[in-house]
Amino acid sequence: MSSAGTAKAITSESAEDVKDAAYLKIRDVIYRISGIYHAEEKLYLLASRCKRRMSAIGAKTPAEYLDQLTMGGNREAELRLLLNEITIGETYMFRSPPQIEALRNVILPQMVQEKSALGFKRLRLWSAGCSTGEEPYTLAMFLLEESAKLLAGWTFDILATDLNDRSLAAAKEGVYGEYALRSTSELLRKKYFRQHDEKRLQVTEHLKSIVRFDRVNLSDDSKMTFLKGMDLILCCNVLIYFDLASKRKVMQHFYSNLLPGGYLFLGHAESLYQVDDRFQLVHFPGAIGYWKAPDGRSAGGKS
Amino acid sequence: MNPQALEQLRPKIEALETIPTIPTIVLPLASLLQRPLDEVRVEQVVELVSCDGTIAAQCMRMANSPLFGRQKTETVKNAVLALGLKRVEAILLGCCLNQIVPPDKWVFDALIFWRHSLGCALVSSKMARLIGYPDPEKAYLAGLTHDLGILVNNIACTEEFRRCFEKAREQRVALHRSEEEHLGFSHCQSGKILAQTWSFPTDLVDVVQFHHDVPGLTDRPLVCLIHLSDMLCRLRDLGYGYYEAVGVHLAGTAAWATLVKYYPALAKTDLARLTLDIDGAMDEIRTLVDEVFRPQAPAPH
Repeated sequence: MSSAGTAKAITSESAEDVKDAAYLKIRDVIYRISGIYHAEEKLYLLASRCKRRMSAIGAKTPAEYLDQLTMGGNREAELRLLLNEITIGETYMFRSPPQIEALRNVILPQMVQEKSALGFKRLRLWSAGCSTGEEPYTLAMFLLEESAKLLAGWTFDILATDLNDRSLAAAKEGVYGEYALRSTSELLRKKYFRQHDEKRLQVTEHLKSIVRFDRVNLSDDSKMTFLKGMDLILCCNVLIYFDLASKRKVMQHFYSNLLPGGYLFLGHAESLYQVDDRFQLVHFPGAIGYWKAPDGRSAGGKS
Repeated sequence: MNPQALEQLRPKIEALETIPTIPTIVLPLASLLQRPLDEVRVEQVVELVSCDGTIAAQCMRMANSPLFGRQKTETVKNAVLALGLKRVEAILLGCCLNQIVPPDKWVFDALIFWRHSLGCALVSSKMARLIGYPDPEKAYLAGLTHDLGILVNNIACTEEFRRCFEKAREQRVALHRSEEEHLGFSHCQSGKILAQTWSFPTDLVDVVQFHHDVPGLTDRPLVCLIHLSDMLCRLRDLGYGYYEAVGVHLAGTAAWATLVKYYPALAKTDLARLTLDIDGAMDEIRTLVDEVFRPQAPAPH
């Protein structure tokens, strides 16, 4: 995250301030409403995000800001602005290596084995809320790299959707600067990008050809019902903006969009606690996935 | 399991009883702490703890760690008071255990082992509190000592254990599986022999012996609790320092099914949040372990 360093610098000057009990309450409010959780040791990050919003609206203390968030006339808009601050800078390629490693080492071998047995060598992935395209292109690079190994002889496609037309246009153009590429190896840059201008790279047509972009509103039942046969859905930091009823509805859709045995991944600090009870929460090294178990099966006991 | 292989090892393990590096204060302190708590005077404990620089430093460092949510303490007495006698006992045991493996016998980094053990102790006591298990300090102690057998394997069969560890890392499988395959027994069985030799209480011996093998253990909730926190730690970068290629639905395990019968609150546990709390504690666990568990050359006798 771009601002982690700055956040630490700010808080080391005012470490006591982070201990303000109001931040714990703000943490709890955010968790209750959005599902984004900050462990106590990470409160300094939350505090630095809050401080930006506090100076923007002129709140002098965390307690005053908490009041704005919970009782202010503008609380819904303010919460959204704070959530934007919290998730800012989270969009870059290969942002979550543990998710990719879980795909590579656990999920893909399992899917390949089970689907090969059925003679069905095809994978469908969906990046729901793809923003400016970093996530679907990451998946595309990952699948292409695996196509020489585990996925030899397989076909795959990636659906990438967002509500925001400007984001989608940027995603389709596929031009990225150093920040978006900070975790992309030199090898992958050479293989899947070409120089666009002095400072930016553009994804190759080959990489683009694997991803299909579309505008989808996750609350649009008619469109959501239509999307079937997914093996994997990634939906990072999108549901945090939904209220509980809408979250539940989207989760119902995701559940039926997925094939039995398919997985849903959320952002690393997001939780579905008390939102959904049909998916099985599965721990992978450093990552949590939500599994649509084929009837009567459990992923448990494989330790 | 291969009982013969384990039996060949038994004399070696039983001989660990007499390892000479146990600090001199340990015996009096241990016997003091074994008395009923209302008979123990804090001053006596403080006096004994103050005699040993390592244990005193460890008590101070733990008492001041944000992981335990304590206020700043500057004296050994305040540290002992803040930690409680049970926790002092666990620290004492940790210090002793840390000294039984000679530095050249560690097959993998001792600090990685202690991060796992301390992580498991913390997660166990946290889970104990979350689900209403009545003795979180017991859970802490059980978490800290559950892998006693790994210490045993480091000492008693170093080269064979090294091969098991290498294989486990290569194949990215659980260490106990690799031990069973290549040694004929796992750290669960070798640990049990030492735990019994050291007269550990029965429930702790059970944890050492069964923490990887819970199906059928319907009457041992503590073992199930440690089984779950051990897995959580291994899945959150507090394992043995290598990638285990697994996906585990914790709520679908036999240990979960047993534990939830005793402590229904477990069913309501917010696992995603607990997991993020473990991640949050990671840096402090590393720092704490690096500071207090760094293997030291044995003191001259």
